[in-house]
Amino acid sequence: MKKGATILLLGLLLATAAFCGFYYLGTASCRRMMRGPQPELAWLKKEFKLSDAEFARISQLHAAYLPQCAARCRRIEEQSQRLRQLLSQATNMTPEIQFVLAERARMRAECEAEMTKHFLDVSRTMPPEQGRRYLAWVERQTFLHGQAMEDRHHTQGGSQPAHQHQM
Amino acid sequence: MKPNQTLEDDQRLRQVLRQWTVNPPLPPRFKEQVWQRIARSEAQPAPSLRGSLARLLEVVVPRPRFAFSYVAVLLVLGVAAGSLAAQAKTKRLDESLGLRYVQSLDPYRAGPSNP
Repeated sequence: MKKGATILLLGLLLATAAFCGFYYLGTASCRRMMRGPQPELAWLKKEFKLSDAEFARISQLHAAYLPQCAARCRRIEEQSQRLRQLLSQATNMTPEIQFVLAERARMRAECEAEMTKHFLDVSRTMPPEQGRRYLAWVERQTFLHGQAMEDRHHTQGGSQPAHQHQM
Repeated sequence: MKPNQTLEDDQRLRQVLRQWTVNPPLPPRFKEQVWQRIARSEAQPAPSLRGSLARLLEVVVPRPRFAFSYVAVLLVLGVAAGSLAAQAKTKRLDESLGLRYVQSLDPYRAGPSNP
């Protein structure tokens, strides 16, 4: 009986050790990536098979883009605050509200154009095949894919979308 | 002895052997003993779960073929489960890092704290 119990226990211990070992080995690259300073850029390097030189260039582009993006976001937020203030006092549409709306829309368009330019810059830094794959991926993941407002109109109207992005 | 006579004796011996039958007498109270054994086997209670487990541990598990197969199957299961769990974890992390990359660039995909 003791021998049988020992064999059963040994089997369970070996199975547990195998599970832990293979899990540990299988997630080693993830842990290494998460320990780095910018895990999302490390992921980009792995996902799009970038060389060290390409990765360094893309990291530079990324670092240069972020402060400009933050500045644009601040300006859009300022316009949004101004709009909230005007709307809290207004009962009718005023030229000032119209101006702030137009100004905010212009800043958003500028933000989208700069973001698209950044995506194109990054894709050009990659090998051509990976660059195309990157562009297709960001198109699916970002504002380039379409707006929630448009989607809602399609859903509510029950009509077919007038335009769909090619995947 | 002539060769023809030997052949004739062999044939006679074979014939006698073919005709020979043995009818051994049954032991005394044979039928009664058979019925008693049948009755005993029917009266035995069904083995309990504990008894079955004890028998499994004492008799079945220590057999080398069973023990080797059991350990090998558990080992393979452990390896497969570990690999699958690692793959699932890596996939989840890849998706989350991809989202983080997009959120760092696209204010429309960023969390509620960003504009």
